[in-house]
Amino acid sequence: MTAVTLESLAPCFQGLYPAQLFTCSSDGVPNVAFLSHVEYVDGTHVALSFQFFSKSRSNIEENPRALVVLMDPETHQGWHLRLKYVRSETDGPLFDRMSLRIETIASYCGLKGIFRLRAADVYEVLSIAPTPEIPASAHAVSRRPATCDPVFTMQAMQDLSARIQKADTLEALVDAILEGIDVSFGFGHSMILLPSDEEGVLVVVATRGYPENGVGAEVRFGEGIGGAVAEARQPVRVSGLMRGVLYAFAMHRESLQPGVTPPRLRIPLPSLEAPESLLGVPLLVRGELVGVLCLESDVPYRFHEEDKTSLELLGSYLAIAIQNMQWRERQADAAVDAATPVEAAAGATTPGPATRAGEPAPLAGRHEVLYYQTDECLFVDGEYLIRGLPAKILWKLLCASRDAGRSEFTNRELRLDKSLNLPAWKDNLESRLLLLRRRLEQKCPTIRITPRARGRFALDVCREVALTALP
Amino acid sequence: MIERSLAAFFQEGLSIHIGTRNERLEPNGAKAIAAIVDDDGVHMDVYVPKVAAARLLPDLEANGQAAVVLCRPTDDRACQVKGVFAGVRPARASERAEVVRQSTQYRDYLERIGIPREATGSLVIWPALVVRLKTTAVFDQTPGPKAGRQMS
Repeated sequence: MTAVTLESLAPCFQGLYPAQLFTCSSDGVPNVAFLSHVEYVDGTHVALSFQFFSKSRSNIEENPRALVVLMDPETHQGWHLRLKYVRSETDGPLFDRMSLRIETIASYCGLKGIFRLRAADVYEVLSIAPTPEIPASAHAVSRRPATCDPVFTMQAMQDLSARIQKADTLEALVDAILEGIDVSFGFGHSMILLPSDEEGVLVVVATRGYPENGVGAEVRFGEGIGGAVAEARQPVRVSGLMRGVLYAFAMHRESLQPGVTPPRLRIPLPSLEAPESLLGVPLLVRGELVGVLCLESDVPYRFHEEDKTSLELLGSYLAIAIQNMQWRERQADAAVDAATPVEAAAGATTPGPATRAGEPAPLAGRHEVLYYQTDECLFVDGEYLIRGLPAKILWKLLCASRDAGRSEFTNRELRLDKSLNLPAWKDNLESRLLLLRRRLEQKCPTIRITPRARGRFALDVCREVALTALP
Repeated sequence: MIERSLAAFFQEGLSIHIGTRNERLEPNGAKAIAAIVDDDGVHMDVYVPKVAAARLLPDLEANGQAAVVLCRPTDDRACQVKGVFAGVRPARASERAEVVRQSTQYRDYLERIGIPREATGSLVIWPALVVRLKTTAVFDQTPGPKAGRQMS
């Protein structure tokens, strides 16, 4: 019989099923504890999380011998790992990886800050043996593939690349990325988040697979998987999320620490009803965070380690594509505007939709638009629409439409408008307009922002609008 | 002393594991399948599959030290019972129904948290040995900073 290796037990380390840790004090009293996760370190070592000063931890300080029981989620075979404590790591890649996983699950539950990894305790694995009382399920064994299904094949990569090549706007690009990830790789629930104009905040600009598209949803760095990925600039993969969430809530009930606040999500982040697997990768270009790509599945062990590695690599390519498109759109705007004097563009007064010849009369009724200047927050008919720079832009456009009857605008005039306070470099205006356009499509389709040409767009208002600015 | 309400929790059909240790203080452990607390609140019978009990009995007979953790998978409420070995016997046929009931409840709980019944269908529950313990302490073991608080 071939010796069982730690590598061959890779599915056991996904945290799908709880593990048990058996220890013994120096005075001979045994102890049993449940573990949320056992981390694979290398061919002869595993790591256990040290979060609280537990009896298990104190036993290990007295007596380094331990036994861990794991269950393989694919074969359902139980395994005994006899361990000997080696060291505790309080920083470095292993610690960061384990800490990020804990933080991600906690923040996913809105419990960020409650849990802290004190150390990653590294153990040498002395022996591995199957547990006779937890034998493999014959059905599961016959079903287990010899290897993971190949997902990131050359053909799939070529297909995604072809989709990306065809995209000629940022909007088309982010949609093409998510479509390609679905069609070519089979990951049907995904989203792309880009940095917002507020530091430390990401905003969803594209989603796929969710009934509510969720564009405009914001997450702070550190919140949820997207925020965790952005904060750490590291990929995160979580399997067996429900187990982790239950564990987190159990700890939370016991902790009851004051000062915990739920994540500030004014637009709900799209999510499956009961996600089991999460995978997030940072989109980085030379260390700069361009965005975050998040995938979700209701299958417990949907994303494998190979998927994380492949997607992380792919993320670099996607990041360059997004950044390049943002740069390209900026350059194209400048080229268009160079041919059109600013004054002419800004002063161009195209008749509003209500007065445009040959077009249908405006719809009956009236939109009540409220703009809270201090919060830079915009509501339509009492419902939150958007905040921050996209809100300021829409307010400016609606005022120009009302006061000057304008319906055509250029990106450049927005860039030059000091009241918008766009940064001189990397203003991400295209991302803001994309976000605004999609939020309007979703929440107020009678007000539309339609691209006209490179660097130009139209504001179509198909219903009378009453504008009210509040402090 | 295990109070009746706590005994009822232990007998609900939980995830149960029993730990022992040998003379070199090396821990041993096995998955148990059911627990019954005596009316005296002091003694507890732990049902362990025979294939696993063989691993623990030398430890129990040599030094008598045992720990049993009982956990409800749906909310991670957990307790740990410390005890000393008070005897072992084969489980009787008349006890099988209770063992099956607790095991079925345990699998129901697992199913609720996304672990399919097929994943636990191969768990060995019979024949079983009954490990009798005299409990010496009970600790709260629900995850969190209060884990380890002595309950009795």
